[in-house]
Amino acid sequence: MAVKVLDRRKMIWVNGLLLALLVLSIVGCTLLGPVRLDLSQALQNIFSANPDAEILFRARLPRVLLGVAIGGGMAACGVVLQALLRNPLACPQMIGVSGGASLGGILGLIFFPHWLLPIAGGLLGEISWVPLAAFLGALLSMVLIYRFSLFHGRLHPYHLLLSGVIFNAFIGAVIIFLNSIVDFYQAQGLLFWLMGSLSTRAYLTVGFIWAYIVLGFLWLWTKGLSLNLITLGEEAAMQLGVETGALQRQIFVASSLMIGAMVSVSGMIGFVGLMIPHVMRLVVGSDHRLLLPASFLAGGIFLCWADTLARILLTPAELPVGIITAFFGGPFFIFLLYRDGAKKLAL
Amino acid sequence: MNPAIRTENLTFAYKDKSVLNGVSLSVERGEMVGVLGPNGSGKTTLLKIFSGVLRGQGEVKLNGRSIETYGKRELSRVFAMVPQESQVLFPYTVAEIVLMGRASYHSPLALEGKRDLEVARASLELTDSLPFSDRYLHELSGGEKQRVIIARALAQEPQILLLDEPSAFLDLKHQVQVFQIIRRLNRERGLTIVAALHDLNLAALFFPRLVMLRDGRIYRDGSPREVLTEKTIDEVYGIRVRVEKDPSGEKPQLFICPSP
Amino acid sequence: MNTMNHRERIITVYLFAVSLIVLYCNSILAAEAPGPQRVVSLAPSVTETLFALGFGDRLVGVTTYCDYPPEARRLPKIGGFMSPSLEAIVDKKPDVVIGVNTATDPAKAREMERLGLKVNLISVASLNDILAGIKSVARLMGSSEAGEKLVLKIERQFSQVKKRVAPAPRRSTLLVVGLRPLVAVGGKNYIDELITLAGGDNIAGNAAQPWLNLPDEYVVAKAPQVIIEAGMGSERAAPAQHWGDLKSIPAVKEERVFSYPSDKILRPGPRVGEGLEEIARMVHPECFAESKPGLKRRNGCEGSRP
Repeated sequence: MAVKVLDRRKMIWVNGLLLALLVLSIVGCTLLGPVRLDLSQALQNIFSANPDAEILFRARLPRVLLGVAIGGGMAACGVVLQALLRNPLACPQMIGVSGGASLGGILGLIFFPHWLLPIAGGLLGEISWVPLAAFLGALLSMVLIYRFSLFHGRLHPYHLLLSGVIFNAFIGAVIIFLNSIVDFYQAQGLLFWLMGSLSTRAYLTVGFIWAYIVLGFLWLWTKGLSLNLITLGEEAAMQLGVETGALQRQIFVASSLMIGAMVSVSGMIGFVGLMIPHVMRLVVGSDHRLLLPASFLAGGIFLCWADTLARILLTPAELPVGIITAFFGGPFFIFLLYRDGAKKLAL
Repeated sequence: MNPAIRTENLTFAYKDKSVLNGVSLSVERGEMVGVLGPNGSGKTTLLKIFSGVLRGQGEVKLNGRSIETYGKRELSRVFAMVPQESQVLFPYTVAEIVLMGRASYHSPLALEGKRDLEVARASLELTDSLPFSDRYLHELSGGEKQRVIIARALAQEPQILLLDEPSAFLDLKHQVQVFQIIRRLNRERGLTIVAALHDLNLAALFFPRLVMLRDGRIYRDGSPREVLTEKTIDEVYGIRVRVEKDPSGEKPQLFICPSP
Repeated sequence: MNTMNHRERIITVYLFAVSLIVLYCNSILAAEAPGPQRVVSLAPSVTETLFALGFGDRLVGVTTYCDYPPEARRLPKIGGFMSPSLEAIVDKKPDVVIGVNTATDPAKAREMERLGLKVNLISVASLNDILAGIKSVARLMGSSEAGEKLVLKIERQFSQVKKRVAPAPRRSTLLVVGLRPLVAVGGKNYIDELITLAGGDNIAGNAAQPWLNLPDEYVVAKAPQVIIEAGMGSERAAPAQHWGDLKSIPAVKEERVFSYPSDKILRPGPRVGEGLEEIARMVHPECFAESKPGLKRRNGCEGSRP
């Protein structure tokens, strides 16, 4: 049949190309930074107290890897939420879970349990308490929004979107209130949650997030066909064989868990989940079986470079990466829109 | 032989409003049935219950088995529904849309196989949609879009084809075209057809059996000549008509007599 | 006196009395106006300044963060640092409201003035500003002398510390107030000046911002010899914990990472002199080592290594 349909070749080529670009980006972003790196020095004495090695392997590489995971995770969740909510403007920031995670993290920051430290020692030290609190916040908000949006056993996209937006507005107000009562030094921490940061040296955290997000993404990928069908409308999807009720619940929970974990570790990094799906739709089409992996890889590439810019732009200071994603993402998106027309993006 | 569809005292209420009040209907294999009735009489609801989207009270049996024993995937290989309108959210090509009809025939993890592509192609040919298989659905006219949706329904290789006012947004030429396709499918392939219709004259011309609904109940069930009488139309629709014969002399046609 | 007749005697006494009266009036005029009696402070550093100048008894309202000296804690509160309550301030009927221009923006000040309050904002951007601010508060309160005295005391503290650390070579220093995210003291910041006075070299001192987020690689590359964590609140983890894996940093290698939440360092008030000494003790501990008894006191820093 001489028509354009998704076939194995396209899948392999597109994903292969993106994967290659991703690997190149990881290497490139690790080599780039505000500080000059002596690569030979870095590679020679990896395990000794060698500043070049430490810059490469302890300061930069974990960040870059985290950026890839979070960029990919956000993009994948964006694709999935746009299908689930049947709204091209849906994104991970919209369903309220990220707001709940931010609030949890901020409360964890403010009410840090000093009494816990001697008990838990290094394990539940400052490093893991705040992300844990954030994740708890994410879970709580997920449950709340779920209950609020459940009607006759079905999650209505309209209610999900509405409750997410309202929830986020409420959380925003609480955060601003907290900002007004904390001191100057804690206010800096608040900014982190609102604008995001990939700054990390903990390979354990990065590894955990990677495992979490990759597994989540793979699970979502298996639902690719059902996602295609659900964009035709709930009834049409049912009539084509999809158990829509179960699918909606599963996707909501899976994406909420992923988003909660991501925001817990890196704060709210916006725009990736909104923009990357649309860009990739223009490039590879709307079939989710290809759109999902393509967006996942493209999201990783994008955030990786955005974080590099965040490190380089205003040396020696480091910008919050959320500013970079918004700053470059927005105009680029408008340029694409202008060029290929709103029709193609169904806007 | 089990009838294709059989309902026994089917009731359905939406919130407090009762839509279907005890519908007992039996459709045999290979029948072509038109469901008539004014808005709110329950036509669409009936079709939605058949296709598994809604669940009513009372028994609905499909090929002798209760419809509740069917999973969605299995059900989609028995029923295919052509809704009144289809929303287009994301840009899919005609080919992609029609191939979605094959979703229940291959593993969700696999891409479409050879047979899927063949069936899709055949469905496109049957509905005269092959020429624009590369175009995006939202670029097509109403009639072309409708034919594509029918092609998608056919790609499901259903035993029963359900149509909800398939000619609602089409011009006259395409209206006739759609009914001709449906009739051909029924005659050549023995496809069971149940269609909700609003155009009584076209219904009379193409459908050998008509079921007239009123207030959620079956008012009349029979051939067009039996169902489309001046009295019935007046009682169900509340308008006065004059019934005459069509040029072939077999089917009734209605002439509306508006009050002076 | 016998030669003076009666009239001349009266004129002399009269002139003498007049000059006494004139002198007396002059001295009254020369003395300053008594100054405001009811003061509201909008910042902990201002509260400390007022107490240090001896005007603590005139304070009728302070922020919830004003905790030094201990008497300040018992004073009525008018709200937080960034968000004082206008109503509470007005309620106290102050003669003057004193704040710092980093916490109270001009719009807020204007609002207060519109409500009939007299508002005075001082700048604390640099050490000079802090000292000038102390003097101007003293002047405002009606006692420039107290201001001069206090500033002199602080300047003496500065020069004492400077003298002690002079023999030692400069040590590159990083001073952070937050770990997650890493917020460091940059340039154009009075703490940066304190670091310099203490014999240190702020690795982020060339930055244009007074506070900035630093990427970890920058810290590794600049290899500070001393790291001071001066943040407050939740950042009280063991110092080595955060930097433990970056062993190439001299501060980590030589165990010169100090976690020292301190108001003296972080408040731009009268205790900056003491804050300077605290910083100097961390940057150049060898210059503050007590000499061994019986040995002649050495004038210098014991075995200072760069």
